[in-house]
Amino acid sequence: MAKQRTLAGIGILACHAILMLGALVMVMPMAWMFVTAFKSAAEIAIWPPVFFPREWTVVNFFGAFETAPFHRFFINSAVIALVSTASVMLTSLIAGTVFAKYQFPGRGLLFGLVLATAIVPFEAYMIPLYIQLVGIDWINTYQGIILPYLFMAFGIFLMRQHVCSSIPTELMEAGRVDGAGEWWILARVIAPLSGNALAAVGIFAFIQGWGIFIWPLLIANDQLLFNMELGLTAFQFAFSADIGKLMAGSVVSVVPMLIVFLLLRRRIIENMALTGIKG
Amino acid sequence: MAGDTGTLRRFFRRRRIILFCYVALLPVVALFFYVRIIPIGFSFLLSFYKWNLISPRRPFVGWDNYLGLLEDENFILALKNTSIYSFSTVALSTCIALPLAVFLSRKSRLSAFYQTIYFLPVITPMVPVSIAWKWIYDYNYGILNYGLSLVGLPSVAWLTEPSIALWALVIMGVWKVLGYNMVLFLVGIRNIPAEYLEAASIDGASDWQRFWRITLPLLRPILLYVIVTSTINAFNVFTQVYVMTLGSQSAPGQAVRMLVFDIYTNGFQFFRMGYASAEAVILTLIVLGLTVIQFTLARDKEAKPR
Amino acid sequence: MTQTQIGRRSAMGLAAGAGLAMAAGRKAKAADITLNIWTGYPELVPWYKAMGAEYTKAKGTQINILSTSLREHEQKLAAAVPTGTGPDVFDVGQILGITFIEAGLVKPNPAAVDGLLKSAAYRKSSAEQFTTDGKTYGLPMLFSTPAMFWNKAHFKEAGLDGPPKTFQQKMDYAKKLTKFDATGKMTRSGMSLRLSGQGSGIAEKFRFILEPAGGTLIVPNGKGKFHQGYDNDAGRAALKYYIDAVQIDKVDDPKVQHDAAAFVAGNTSMLMREAWVIGEIKEKAPNLDYGVAPIPAWGSGPHKTLLQHNGLWVNAKSKNIDAAYDFMLFISSKEASVKLTQLSGWVAARADVDWSPLLKDIPQYKEFVSPTDGVQFYPEPVMAAWNEIESRLADRLPGAYIDASLQDPAKLAAFIKAAAAQTDQILKQNDLYGT
Repeated sequence: MAKQRTLAGIGILACHAILMLGALVMVMPMAWMFVTAFKSAAEIAIWPPVFFPREWTVVNFFGAFETAPFHRFFINSAVIALVSTASVMLTSLIAGTVFAKYQFPGRGLLFGLVLATAIVPFEAYMIPLYIQLVGIDWINTYQGIILPYLFMAFGIFLMRQHVCSSIPTELMEAGRVDGAGEWWILARVIAPLSGNALAAVGIFAFIQGWGIFIWPLLIANDQLLFNMELGLTAFQFAFSADIGKLMAGSVVSVVPMLIVFLLLRRRIIENMALTGIKG
Repeated sequence: MAGDTGTLRRFFRRRRIILFCYVALLPVVALFFYVRIIPIGFSFLLSFYKWNLISPRRPFVGWDNYLGLLEDENFILALKNTSIYSFSTVALSTCIALPLAVFLSRKSRLSAFYQTIYFLPVITPMVPVSIAWKWIYDYNYGILNYGLSLVGLPSVAWLTEPSIALWALVIMGVWKVLGYNMVLFLVGIRNIPAEYLEAASIDGASDWQRFWRITLPLLRPILLYVIVTSTINAFNVFTQVYVMTLGSQSAPGQAVRMLVFDIYTNGFQFFRMGYASAEAVILTLIVLGLTVIQFTLARDKEAKPR
Repeated sequence: MTQTQIGRRSAMGLAAGAGLAMAAGRKAKAADITLNIWTGYPELVPWYKAMGAEYTKAKGTQINILSTSLREHEQKLAAAVPTGTGPDVFDVGQILGITFIEAGLVKPNPAAVDGLLKSAAYRKSSAEQFTTDGKTYGLPMLFSTPAMFWNKAHFKEAGLDGPPKTFQQKMDYAKKLTKFDATGKMTRSGMSLRLSGQGSGIAEKFRFILEPAGGTLIVPNGKGKFHQGYDNDAGRAALKYYIDAVQIDKVDDPKVQHDAAAFVAGNTSMLMREAWVIGEIKEKAPNLDYGVAPIPAWGSGPHKTLLQHNGLWVNAKSKNIDAAYDFMLFISSKEASVKLTQLSGWVAARADVDWSPLLKDIPQYKEFVSPTDGVQFYPEPVMAAWNEIESRLADRLPGAYIDASLQDPAKLAAFIKAAAAQTDQILKQNDLYGT
């Protein structure tokens, strides 16, 4: 028995060793990016590489901010991501609820369309969309950049799954018997019971909104409308890349997501995990 | 009389509810039609035309674009590479995440720590992450080759060697989604009622048997969800390829040619919009087909034991 | 008399006043105008900004510069110009330029621009490249030719006293210049070729050797049609040269650092590239001891080098088309041309510029601004399908360079044949094929 326990102990220890190694692999790219951003050009190009810079320098960050108005890019990223997140949460709540709890002609077709179009790659239809936005004069505007990200098929799907499985129809019926309107039920019955699912949708929307690249590239003609991801291309020329500045810019782009994540990690992980359960 | 007013009231209420549905959905659906259905429909129509994006001329060519694709070795190569990439990424990330989740489902103080760390890549944006990986894979100054040299292994040309470049992308793809899959499995396992597993233990089932007989079957819905969503995502892989093929010290285009990248090249570098649209239509059909197949397989399996 | 005199004077005064008022009016109007300029060359931004500031001071017009890297720039232009959301002035290579011209999105030059382009200010070959059906469109901005950079310190160390004259000699030199570490890993390449990546650049660099060897990617048939021109001895020899360099003589390796970055860091001894590398060296390795020589000849053949023009174009849908052409002329002056080269490293396209102050400062520019006598230029064919022709060949080349089976001449010939057949195929698809 004792022998078995030690054996099990060794097994658990081995598992931890593997997990630790995996954890190292998980953080390494980000860690490598961070330390590289603080290295001088000479130190970046040495072999064997030294992990921590011998001399920490912030010259890459100054260089990056000098090359382009990164503070502006940062604000743009935040605005785009936040507006998109708020809108995605609202539209997902409404559409998800309606698809989950109401019977109306065209429901199946509409929901099927929402899901089916979600798998078409954006690159395939961004030109027609661009041409449409030319028609309403929205090229090179914030609203034009944000428009395609105001709702998310995946968010609607998640909310529908959540409302279907977690919110009893009787609760809504009880509201109706009390004379409540459907909007009241949506706002006072369903929304309060959907906090976690909505949070999950919001997180997905924020990650997506922060990371958009190819669309603003096409539609933003003024550097003042660039977001972080677009700003990063300023250091990536076809011919040469300035690794130090590139890494510094990348760090600036990643850090806000990291801070948000580390502050809210438990909620984020739990909520995002919930998304899979309702399937 | 009372019954009549009741039916009448119910009738009006139903009308009112249906009206609510349409009113509530109207903004979302309008938006959805404007930014998805119309452009996708237009793109579909374009697939029957020859258009260079710039010219006002746009001749109708029927099925020519589709027929051209069948003979286009770049398209076939992209199809092959994307399939290899997707199946490997999905299979690896699932097979690695599952045992990790099983182990983490035991009560452990470190569990939360591992979850946080493994989840980091999920939330980081793709462009900076791709840039970081490109630098990690660098043959001359990359930390990966340095790691190999520490354990006495020779350096590997991760990006420039055609037979390896695709696998370099697979590794990065697995790295990106592993944490998400793991956390999903973990919650799924924790939701399995403890009595099931205890009962099995009492019956003398080993850990291994309990995993195969109880945990895995009960995880099936989550497994399906994970596989479907990661397959869709993997088939749409683009940003990594875009970043990793940029410049002279990068992956050879053919080795990592994927469908969306090929669509992008045809559409925006060669300005063959119609052709690119046809390619996108095929990609959509493939992903749609795969999703349907996955659902059917899962349903069949579910049906059998019952 | 006096009366008339006074009358005349007051009339003149009136006229002058009106003229002033008109000028002031125009000036006020010019100040309201903002011209949007898009460039695909981030290294030109300091120059554009300097010129923009000068122009604003002189004419009051505001200048807005947007720079994205080339791949993104072309994509944005293709979406924006036809839909009227594009810039007023943009720079882009002629391949995209011709597509815009064909679509009527760039109009023939007004008289002032036309006159300048046809004057002695530009080389005849430059003017020809910007002429379509007898009309001129746009102005050449960059005169871009590759030459061979060689690291003098490396050469001295290897006991070589000057740059190679022929490609055969270049291979011999490279063997002496290449360095390996104890494990047999290459640490310094003798010559840096373009061996990996994606896109037309790989095929463009292949032409650096193919053309001197007597081949070319496409041959005009004299009737407006083309066919491939490299399924021949020259094409096979050029590919064999690459394969020898990588597999037999081992003077380059896809794994080592490449291109300008490698030359700047002293990790390669020879590199064929354009003038902008001088700017890179000036900025990142000012003490590098290097020379610039003509691209080697093939055996006893002539020296040949690629000539590319990057052009300035005015968007036909610009709302301020006169101001746009005016700005285009302003930044194409002699003074502006000198400044362009000083600030970016690229060579301006004007032929009548006095380069002597620049050459006194940086003698390495000589081969770019006044190439050695006898160097022949081969142009970039001006056709919309060109990018696809180069890119599709470029898709095939990196794999071939490291494919050991292509050391077999029969397999190599088959490879070239298949690639050339694809070139013809693309020409056919675009109704450009003819023998």
